[in-house]
Amino acid sequence: MRYLLLIILCLSLILVAGCIIKFTPEIEEDNTLLVVEGMITDQNMTNKIRISHALPVGKVITPVPVKGCRVTITDRHGSIYNLKESSPGIYITDSTRFRGQVNNRYRLNIVDGGKSYESYTMEMKPVPPIDSIYYEKVLIGEDEFGVPIEECQVYLDTKDPFGKCLYYRWDFSETWEFILPYSVPNYRCWKSAYSGKIIIKNTSVYNQSRVDRFPIQYISNETERLKVKYSMLVNQYSLNEDEYAYWERVKSVSENVGGLYDVTPMSITGNVYRLDDPDVPVLGYFSVSAVARERIFIDDNFIGLPNYYSYCPGDTIRYPGPIPNLNISAWLIVDNSNGQPPYRVITYFRECADCTLRGTNVKPPYWDE
Amino acid sequence: MTLKVLTTVFLLLISVALQGQVTKYPVTWKYENQKFREFIQKAESVHNVKFFYKEEWISDKAVTFCGDSVTVAQVLDASLRESGIYFLINRHGDIILTSGYMVRRIETPAGVEGKFIPSVILTDSLKSRQVTGSMFIDVGNPSDRDKPGAVTLSGYVRDENTGEPIAGVSVFNQKLSLGTITNSFGFYSLSLPRGSHSVQFTFIGLKEKTININLYSSGEIDLGMSSVLIPLKEAVVSAQKDRIIQRFEVGLENISLVNLRLLPASLGESDIIKSVLSLPGVKVVGEGSSGFNVRGGSADQNLILLYGAPMYNSNHFFGFFSAVNSDIIRDVALYKGGIPARYGGRISSVLEITPKEGNRKEFAGNAGISPVTAHFMIDAPILKDKCSLILTGRSTYSNWIFRRVNNAILQNSMASFYDVNARLTYDINKNNKIETAYYLSNDAFRLNSDSLYKYDNNIVSVKWKHFFSRRFLSIVTVNNSNYQYKISSERVLQDGFKMAHKVNSTWFKADFNWYPEGRSEMNFGADVIKYSIKPGDYTPSNDSSLVIPHLIQKENAVEAALYFDEKYTITPFLSVNAGLRFSSYFALGPADIMLYDPLVPKNVSTITDTSVISPGRVIKTYAGPELRLSLNFRLTDNSSVKINYNRNRQYLHLLTNTTSISPTDTWKLSDYYLKPQIGDQYALGYYRMLNRNRIEASAEIYYKSIRNMLDFKGGARLVMNENAETEIINVRGRAYGLELSLKSTEGRLQWTAGYTYSRILIRSISDFREELVNSGKWFPASFDKPHDLTVTFNYLISRRFSFSGSYTYNTGRPVTYPTGVFRIGGITVPIYSERNAYRIPDYSRLDIAVSISGNLKLKKIAHPHWAFSVYNVLGRANVYSVYFRENNNRIKGYKLSVFGRPIPSVTYSFDF
Repeated sequence: MRYLLLIILCLSLILVAGCIIKFTPEIEEDNTLLVVEGMITDQNMTNKIRISHALPVGKVITPVPVKGCRVTITDRHGSIYNLKESSPGIYITDSTRFRGQVNNRYRLNIVDGGKSYESYTMEMKPVPPIDSIYYEKVLIGEDEFGVPIEECQVYLDTKDPFGKCLYYRWDFSETWEFILPYSVPNYRCWKSAYSGKIIIKNTSVYNQSRVDRFPIQYISNETERLKVKYSMLVNQYSLNEDEYAYWERVKSVSENVGGLYDVTPMSITGNVYRLDDPDVPVLGYFSVSAVARERIFIDDNFIGLPNYYSYCPGDTIRYPGPIPNLNISAWLIVDNSNGQPPYRVITYFRECADCTLRGTNVKPPYWDE
Repeated sequence: MTLKVLTTVFLLLISVALQGQVTKYPVTWKYENQKFREFIQKAESVHNVKFFYKEEWISDKAVTFCGDSVTVAQVLDASLRESGIYFLINRHGDIILTSGYMVRRIETPAGVEGKFIPSVILTDSLKSRQVTGSMFIDVGNPSDRDKPGAVTLSGYVRDENTGEPIAGVSVFNQKLSLGTITNSFGFYSLSLPRGSHSVQFTFIGLKEKTININLYSSGEIDLGMSSVLIPLKEAVVSAQKDRIIQRFEVGLENISLVNLRLLPASLGESDIIKSVLSLPGVKVVGEGSSGFNVRGGSADQNLILLYGAPMYNSNHFFGFFSAVNSDIIRDVALYKGGIPARYGGRISSVLEITPKEGNRKEFAGNAGISPVTAHFMIDAPILKDKCSLILTGRSTYSNWIFRRVNNAILQNSMASFYDVNARLTYDINKNNKIETAYYLSNDAFRLNSDSLYKYDNNIVSVKWKHFFSRRFLSIVTVNNSNYQYKISSERVLQDGFKMAHKVNSTWFKADFNWYPEGRSEMNFGADVIKYSIKPGDYTPSNDSSLVIPHLIQKENAVEAALYFDEKYTITPFLSVNAGLRFSSYFALGPADIMLYDPLVPKNVSTITDTSVISPGRVIKTYAGPELRLSLNFRLTDNSSVKINYNRNRQYLHLLTNTTSISPTDTWKLSDYYLKPQIGDQYALGYYRMLNRNRIEASAEIYYKSIRNMLDFKGGARLVMNENAETEIINVRGRAYGLELSLKSTEGRLQWTAGYTYSRILIRSISDFREELVNSGKWFPASFDKPHDLTVTFNYLISRRFSFSGSYTYNTGRPVTYPTGVFRIGGITVPIYSERNAYRIPDYSRLDIAVSISGNLKLKKIAHPHWAFSVYNVLGRANVYSVYFRENNNRIKGYKLSVFGRPIPSVTYSFDF
């Protein structure tokens, strides 16, 4: 619905716009509700439960950890696993002693001083493997010289022939290689990012648990992701209905805002509650999911990518002359890109001279040439 | 916008003027082929008789030959038959012609010789009045002139062009400051002392008429009124002496087409329904939002009637346009307080759209174009004087614009609408009239997504009006109204789905109106509504789709009501209007009713049993009386006080949890769980004419309590939900307010000013804390805007140019702010304050417009109009909503404005 503004803009035929102005709300309320975030999976890995307090609005978010809790997980058979506080507010399972099992049920218990919290008992649903992840080039238009501009849409297909997994959630971590256009020691790096959005799908409305051409990620040309090589590791989680409903609500309050038909805002509580006072809201969710993984590489030539380093060169000096008045806030790079004798170039932007500023120069182990 | 003026006069009552006199004037001369004027001159010279008439009435008339040895009266009778001119021979033996109305007199019983009102006065008045064409008319039996007590003058006021009754005509005696207004059937009844009086008939857009009467006893005068000349319509708005003092209703607002054209239009479209929204006591959530709130009611509590049928969605294009083309509308009445007993089913207001009467004389039409739409109207007589057809159409060409804009979002979007109105009226005979009407509106939009939204309204209506006698009539209406929306998506064939929702009602209504002699008026009747709702059908949209069809069980119900209502004038200074409506409601099977564990909040997981109700069986019955009461005290000649109490019950509800209602909200009937909403309103009004009756001032206060309003749990899923009762929270509401208004509708500068202070607070009622919003405390509803000021003016620069403007200010509506955040799944999620604890900034907007009519030549093929308007001249970015989104690990607040800059627009239209 937020495109309505653009439509109205056009209808009026004149440059008339709805407009959006930033502001900082003045709020004096104080919020120190408990936030529990964590997941146990069927993988052979360390599971993390993060316990913190909610934060006030408008400040940079570094969660305030809740230290010294006693955290346990109880399964269907009554076995209890203790979690260990590995760093403040982060409680982990021991991967040698605990691994989630499909069809088992788990409950989380937290004791924080005199207050006890408990989650609902959650069943671990099985998850099918990801069928395939594939991408398609998207022609988004032409530049002023008539050169087409391409971007990329990544799709995912999956299905559960047994129909056990009806609700899916995905997240992914993406990694891309980027290369600085100059001969500097750190010119080739890799950068990673986490999906950071809620990607869910309900297949209970279909007669098969089947997901086709699900648009899991759109890669625009605004960043260097499409320039050299890109990779994406997708996690597919099985959800039960309650958790699906939770993520759906989170999605609607965080994403579907700013239009003409906004849903009345609400605070979202999850599956954890305080034992002695269930009316005190507890935020976050204790997820119990089976996981399937799949990685995709995109190593393709996309037309019409912009020059990401057009801002870089500063001053050019014929090599190897002396450089006068070179100060600490400038970096030297060598440019021999066009076959000419190399030049020394000064740039005032360090990221043009050192790729480790934005990424790492350690090649990821899965990165094949 | 409309029709040409007819200079001819339509004959309505085919009856002959009474001649109670014994005076006979034999025609002793040869009158065959004589001109009417020559005939009169001859008669005046032969007999001692005087004729009173207006030259233009007879200028081109000839007399009709009706045999030898006849009387003057017989010749006049034959010649004037069906001409709209009536004649009367008064006690002096003078012959008076009248045009447009006839004089009816009760015969003097034989042998009784009454004394007479001194002839000096009569003659003097006659002379002076002859200039303006008004006449003195004898009403009643002269022998009664000395009897004590007041008598009543009553009759129908009709439009001379169409013969249709005109409601809301002010009937006023200036000297005594006594008056009334015609009711919805054009009937008036005015109590006056015996004697000579001058009675003025005024109605906005019609030529004012004054008749002079000698009132001897109770009698009747029917009057025809004609429109002002159309090409000058904007310029010649006659002073509407809208005698609010005489009205019974508290909280009734009327807007007619003529008022409307004086106001600046938004996006070039003058929209009569939208203009209702600027009235005191009416609020909208924001610019361009669908739905409106009357005196603290929610948007589904308004009954919008078109052709007597309810409209379930009154908006096009997300609410920027109303769904009814203003071309078809004559006027719009909004009952926000004293709702008459003949209406029921919604607790806040009734918005009745009265369609224009067809032109029964000649073909007329209108067409126009604005930045967004194009529209036309054709108005044609099918059978002259008997049957006419109006046809209007309107459509947007926005899709055409979208495709030409080089923007991927817009090219992937579409938004279009159209609407069609057709109305056929047929007068079978004097006592029976039939009208049929059809309305269709359609909207489709896609907003940069793959989902296509479509919705349409459909109304078919037949109305039969029957006069049992002059004072007793019935109206029988049968109509069907249907609203449906469909959402479909075919992005991925396997996921392709269609989702449809439909609400349908068939309405049978019989209304009887009886005006017994004397000071009362009675209305009674019954109505039966059959509802059928398809809550949601979710089906595959193609053969390869894997979607499992999911059809939610239909809802059926019957609502039936009986009502009786009487208006009674106890003394000229005290009148009462008492009505009782008894409404009943039956929710009908088939239905599967879920039974829930009563100890915990209703939830799908707390279902304990299912009760299956077979088809046609009653699931649940709700019934109750609705009392409607008002008292009108006239304090002085120009002020009055009115008191009103009102109860309404509502069985149909709109499930919506968005800020503004959206076209894809779901309608739901009262059922096993969902109780009817009940509203009680108490209102008190003070009305006064100021500055020698030039300014109309009013102050009204009201208090309203609403039971069983709906609110929803946070994040409630209302579409495709079989167990909607698990998401609904029962809410009690209380609203109160003060509405002040000033109106000056005379002279070159006309203006109105209104200020409202109003509150609406709600409180959720439940045994479970989980179902309480803000822990069950009172809190403002999202359309609570305490202060509201509206000022409009129109200045007539010349007959062709007018300048108008309107200014609006109101308090920002309540919103919920985030008070904190937490992170989960890599995103930052806000935690919200108590609901509606904060407010968006106040709203303020000024619009101006200039309207220009083409030259004033009457005999042109088309009469053009230009309207230039600027919406939001001050360019203030009024905040529509605020929202919060994560940006660089911080929650940032954003204010969204819909029209953040001035928006100029031009509209061209022409009448033909």
